[in-house]
Amino acid sequence: MDTGNRRTVFLLAFLAALLVAAACAPTEEQGQSAGDAEIPDEVLIGATLPLTGEEADVGGYFKEGYELAFEQINDAGGLQLGDQKVPVKLQLLDDTTNQQTAANLGQKLVDDGASALLGTYSTDLVQAQSTVAEQNQIPYVNGGGAATAIYQRGYEWIFGALAPIQSLAISQMKWIDIHQDKGQLPKPAEIAVIWENTSHGEDYLAGIQKFAEQSGGDYKVVMDESFELDTKDYSAILGKVEAEDVDFFMADAHLPDFLTMHRQYIARGLCHDIRTYGARGSEQDAIEVIGQENVTYILSAVWWNDLLVENQPKVNEDFIRLFKQKYGRVPEWYGALSYDTARALFTAMENAGSVDPEAVREALASLEMESVVPFGTLSFPEETGYQADYAFLVQQNTPSGSSPIIYPNELATGPGIPKNPNC
Amino acid sequence: MKQALDLAVSSLLLGGFYAAMAYGLGLIYGVLRVVNLTHGGVIMAGAYLTWVLFTELGIDPYMSIPIILVVFFFFGVAMYWGLVRFLPRGAAGGVQSLLLLFGLWLLMRNVAYLLFKGDTRSIQTSYATKSVNLLGTSVPVTRIAVFLIAVVVLIALHFLLTHTFTGKAIRAVAQNPDSCTLAGIDVERIYMLAFGMGTALAGLGGLFVATIFAFNPETGAVELLKSFVVVVLGGLGSVLGIAAGALVLAVAESFSILFMPSFLTAAVGFVLLVVVLVFRPGGLFGEKVLR
Repeated sequence: MDTGNRRTVFLLAFLAALLVAAACAPTEEQGQSAGDAEIPDEVLIGATLPLTGEEADVGGYFKEGYELAFEQINDAGGLQLGDQKVPVKLQLLDDTTNQQTAANLGQKLVDDGASALLGTYSTDLVQAQSTVAEQNQIPYVNGGGAATAIYQRGYEWIFGALAPIQSLAISQMKWIDIHQDKGQLPKPAEIAVIWENTSHGEDYLAGIQKFAEQSGGDYKVVMDESFELDTKDYSAILGKVEAEDVDFFMADAHLPDFLTMHRQYIARGLCHDIRTYGARGSEQDAIEVIGQENVTYILSAVWWNDLLVENQPKVNEDFIRLFKQKYGRVPEWYGALSYDTARALFTAMENAGSVDPEAVREALASLEMESVVPFGTLSFPEETGYQADYAFLVQQNTPSGSSPIIYPNELATGPGIPKNPNC
Repeated sequence: MKQALDLAVSSLLLGGFYAAMAYGLGLIYGVLRVVNLTHGGVIMAGAYLTWVLFTELGIDPYMSIPIILVVFFFFGVAMYWGLVRFLPRGAAGGVQSLLLLFGLWLLMRNVAYLLFKGDTRSIQTSYATKSVNLLGTSVPVTRIAVFLIAVVVLIALHFLLTHTFTGKAIRAVAQNPDSCTLAGIDVERIYMLAFGMGTALAGLGGLFVATIFAFNPETGAVELLKSFVVVVLGGLGSVLGIAAGALVLAVAESFSILFMPSFLTAAVGFVLLVVVLVFRPGGLFGEKVLR
């Protein structure tokens, strides 16, 4: 190799080394100390909700809860990170009630620099979207996915504020059991379980089956039928229910399916001692769409009810007052849980003193927050896969239009009517 | 036995509903050879218009049938004059018409979101949840009403196509538009008329949806798919076949609950569709032309 060539080779090698060094060197942002990087000028939190599509109604309620929580924290100066107050911004996108869109937008929010994600609504969407958070190792707190399947995947970054659906079914059965023991309901009782074909529905069925198996024959599930989401015609299923002549009609459905199914249930002239659609039944939409007289005595179990304020004013009083001020009406459980979901994330960030993902994750895992949920404490136990587990509020629609809490007894605001008087 | 009878009654009523939803799609395909993907959007719009007439003006859904038919007939005519007539038809124009009409459906859906938000609506009349006893089975009166109107529409449509000059012209154009032109029939006018009628029937399907189900802007997708299955089962372009196809689909779906989980009900229709397309591509009651 002559001198000229050798010089060229050295020059190229030098340039290559320079490029490699430049690529490996920390950028200005990366080079900041951990403390500086963890306390930005503004904290960006990403979220998607089904603002259009099948779950648009509920998506709207969740949006209200999220926005109220953000407004409240920013009005107080922002997140307290160490000795600084930092404003927090919500970047909210519409996932159109579509799993794929929810997952794609989750990734977009991460790419846009979100420090953490707040979850979307309904089990199947949360299930898809939470995988994105896990892959990116970014905290994901949701109040829209209750199925245990979401939390049994060994994920470390997913935190759920909704107690499991199995507990919902069991809470309802416990209340029923009290009245069966008093002789107010048939013993043994035959049950038809109609469940949506999702892990949400599977959990509901499993809860009732588990309770029935442990009852020593007091309850018998004589029929269980699943249905696809957004089913329009339930005549065949309801015909089968009618043929089975059961005592209890226990269904698990999301709001649109509940509205369609119950309308057809009523039109068919069906009536059962106990009728429930899981968490549905007390919504204002139901009264408007089906009529007050047709939703009376429906039993439901929810994660929250505004009447909870009577026996558990802490946090609830403030929340209900703020919600009424902003939206001019009483909140439903969707708004309460989304509000608390956002608060849980804020509290974890404040406890961590930074937005460092690992620190926030650890703070979420050890969180014990004063909350709107029944009995007042929200936490994400590791043994449930970081899914909150608290008592459900069993409630029943009354002819006057109210839905008092009838179980657990400590939180009850009214007596329940065990046997549907309209039958 | 009781359950079988119950399912038979349910099937019959459901068949009437399916047929009412599918007439419009079948008519437009039979004459224009265009798969009208806005069919689902028109069904949704029909449901909303019925709801608006009921909630704002207090008009009973069944009394608003003439209004719905007239409004959607002219909507169909406008759609034909503004868009569809520029499209190539048959296999050559398949992709263009599918894309255009699908786009129009999306547009209609988004307009509905703007106007009505995503809230689930339904029409709560005094009789919406009433039922009568039919062969020992409680049957909602709205189902019976829909079935009876679907039968009347079938008879009227059949009469129109077989006993009137316009109907005969429609059938002639469906068979051979070129010959019709030579015979002095205004083919464009017949196309426009058929598109208007098909759209009006889809609007009527929307009215039925509003009286039986809860609905929102997403409504129409399932109805379009069911209509498509019915039309293919019955034979593309055959009005009587559509009624028969609707009944076959309803019977298959309803009775499937005796043999399989009900969440598979929707799949029954599509399995039936595939089987029919493989073994009887012209449909179970296949006629290649409208009759």
